[in-house]
Amino acid sequence: MLFNSLQYLVFLPTVFLLFWLTPHRFRVPLLLVASYVFYMSWKPLYGLLIFGLTLANFLLVPFIEKATVHKKLILGITVAINLITLGIFKYAYFTMDAVKTTLGFAGVDWKEPHLHIILPLGISFFVFEFIHYAIEVYRGKAVVKNFLDFALFPSFFPTQIAGPIKRYQDFVPQLHIPVKFKWEYVDEGMQLILMGLAKKVLIADNLALVVQAGFAHADQFSPLDMWMITYAFAFQIFFDFAGYTDIARGSSLLLGYKVPINFNLPYIASNISDFWRRWHISLSTWLRDYLFIPLGGSRGSKWMTYRNLFITMALGGLWHGAAFHYLAWGAYQGVVLIAHREYEAAMQKIGVHEKLLKSKVYHWASVVFTFHVVCIGWVFFRADDMKIAGQVLSKLFEAPGALLHFSAAQLAVLQIRDPIIFPALVLILPVLMVSTFVINWMNDKKFYQSPPWAVQVTVMVALMCLLTIFTPDSSPRFIYFQF
Amino acid sequence: MGILRSKFFISVALFAAVSSLFAITKLGNIAPTDFPIHTWTGWAVEDFLSDKQGRPQFVFLGSSLVLVPVSGVDADYLKHPIDGSHHHQSQYFEDQFKKQSGMQVKTFNFGLPGEMPSDAFLITKFLLKGEKRPDVIVYGVGPRDFMDNLLPSPAATDPYQYLSRFGDVSSHRHLIAPEWDQRLNLELGQLFYSYGHNYDLSVSSQRLATTALNELLPAPKTDKPFTINDRRVLFPLYKPMEIASKEAYFRPTTPKERTFDNSNMVEYKKRYSHLNWRTFTHQMKFLADLMSTARDRGTQVILISMPITDLNRDLLEKGTWDSYKKSLKVLAQSKGASYIDLGDSKQFALSDFMDTVHLHSGGGMKLLDILAEKAAQDRRVMSALDATNSSIAGLKGGQL
Repeated sequence: MLFNSLQYLVFLPTVFLLFWLTPHRFRVPLLLVASYVFYMSWKPLYGLLIFGLTLANFLLVPFIEKATVHKKLILGITVAINLITLGIFKYAYFTMDAVKTTLGFAGVDWKEPHLHIILPLGISFFVFEFIHYAIEVYRGKAVVKNFLDFALFPSFFPTQIAGPIKRYQDFVPQLHIPVKFKWEYVDEGMQLILMGLAKKVLIADNLALVVQAGFAHADQFSPLDMWMITYAFAFQIFFDFAGYTDIARGSSLLLGYKVPINFNLPYIASNISDFWRRWHISLSTWLRDYLFIPLGGSRGSKWMTYRNLFITMALGGLWHGAAFHYLAWGAYQGVVLIAHREYEAAMQKIGVHEKLLKSKVYHWASVVFTFHVVCIGWVFFRADDMKIAGQVLSKLFEAPGALLHFSAAQLAVLQIRDPIIFPALVLILPVLMVSTFVINWMNDKKFYQSPPWAVQVTVMVALMCLLTIFTPDSSPRFIYFQF
Repeated sequence: MGILRSKFFISVALFAAVSSLFAITKLGNIAPTDFPIHTWTGWAVEDFLSDKQGRPQFVFLGSSLVLVPVSGVDADYLKHPIDGSHHHQSQYFEDQFKKQSGMQVKTFNFGLPGEMPSDAFLITKFLLKGEKRPDVIVYGVGPRDFMDNLLPSPAATDPYQYLSRFGDVSSHRHLIAPEWDQRLNLELGQLFYSYGHNYDLSVSSQRLATTALNELLPAPKTDKPFTINDRRVLFPLYKPMEIASKEAYFRPTTPKERTFDNSNMVEYKKRYSHLNWRTFTHQMKFLADLMSTARDRGTQVILISMPITDLNRDLLEKGTWDSYKKSLKVLAQSKGASYIDLGDSKQFALSDFMDTVHLHSGGGMKLLDILAEKAAQDRRVMSALDATNSSIAGLKGGQL
């Protein structure tokens, strides 16, 4: 069931009504049933998978808490069960391909078996939630004693498919608070849902058309076109995923629950570390807490820290998908994070004047530079394979030369008049870039905390009109559903 | 805070008011004859309604089962390629019928790719009337028209998108939207103008945006302008049904060039698997309503069970072929239509087909010969023609 489907338009109000009409003690079972209905509406059989993993973790993790010896071993077994499940469903083909290629180099022609595996929706997200739970209990936090509470933690339908990756210490206690209905929940929740749908349907889906054509036929576009297409992808993936997150948060809020934010204006980050504090926050904090720190974090030597950083980001890349281009994207993030640390150290060593580093010019130049570094990374992420990534990147690096003899005739985006999004890109991209700064300014002025009543209503009415007019019959799935 | 103070519910109320205002002012409304995308349907409707067409005596209805052989025959017969977007007659049939009956008739081929009986019904109900009412409708059907389980609903075809704009389809809403979510979609469209008319509104706003952008950012002049073919390479899934003028040609063929290809068996296997009886009965209902509508207007229907290959027929689930044939026969009898059963006729061999269901131009010629002969011998057909034509020669009488 997709958030942007008619099924969800019926499902969510039904759950909402039943939830608030049901006495508090029956709400968790109700949400659990609703969440399994939501999940199994796609492939009923995979309900067994999430249930099986839930049961395994529920039974195993208390042994970690109770163990006086072999605590680490039990944790290892628990984590392994989760990772093996993820590995089978997500990385089996990738591993077989890698083995086949390696054997091919050795002259062995291995006929790999065909496994007929379909990636279960949301598996990467709920597996990470289980691992977080096991590690937190290992670190001394309390186990969840009630099975229904525990079962709802990974399956909670608003966050089930593409996060945000929740923390059980934040989520489970909310289940015990006998929340009373407030109209604020509806107002705030629906505002988030409408905003999320607009981000997905009005912006991301339209940009997708440009991006799809650009990455499939890079040879048909000039270097300057490719930069615009890459910018378009940067905004597409942001609005797609942020849109999903808004709908998830809005849906949760309708039921009186809060789930963490996932984005904080990532494209105004002034360096790559700052970017990762603003982008997919629930994943980046998970990677920090359950991969980077266990690997040793920043506790060792500089090179050990860099090694840990690189491994964390490379595996983070692979988490997104079983393909070399995702691995390359993760590795690229690791390299630029390391480069950023080196740069900061060098600046300190050289003794660059602090006044310069804190100047507005330096800050905005850093924002623009960081955005472009991120965009180059997105090429690995979006390309279907490394060959295409190479083609697109080589086009991007030809841009300085193309700028020297620039003429509008070079721009294929201006030649293509249908779909209209192509020439419109020249106007839309600057608007999207500027809007990021405007929103940041409004955040600073705390405008969002109490926007005038009339503004809120006008925005909602406008969004309802726009969504009903421009929602296509079929919208592409959210990008993060595939992970 | 009560519901009356909820910002969301106030917004919903205001949205309903705004939507009603749109409805009153008919904001962005575009005429049904205004085709932003020209598909086979658009070209055919536009041509049919144009003054140059006049009133055809015979209208052919059907899917590609009809379109392909009828147009292919004319390419062979006229000995030049014919543009599928503009050629909507059967010259060959007109000449053959004249030979058989002595009567000069005018034909219009409304065969469209993917046309279901629901689409044929809409063509009949909304277009084949008044000054454009034909005397005879020739409707060629195949099992796919009633058993395509890949089709989510009658509203999912390209012809439906355009034909449903010509009139009120609410009397058939239970057939058009059989699933609850399809029905909800339809009802929401009725309730909120901005949703029900979102096609009109989005087309109108796109046109406005295009005009503004052409002013603001005109396309730079280049030696090689961007064409529809370039667009097809870049966005194969964008406007997939669109065809440009002079893009789809039926070319003359020689018997040697007419080869058989059975590769569409896989596609038909999927279409026929797990027969949905509801689709079957709903499409039969549309066929029945088509026949009733035509009869009420004095138009005679010739229903043809189109020839298909044994290979294709064998893909059907057990019993479905018999149900299909029996339903057609009973329906034709009850509605006073003429029925030509060629479904498993021995008159057609595998060599008459280009694939497992479509006749090639050679097979098409055979089909039109049979049709011309049977129509000329059919008293009801000739009477229907007689009612509007004063001079009829060669009425041979007899039923089909």
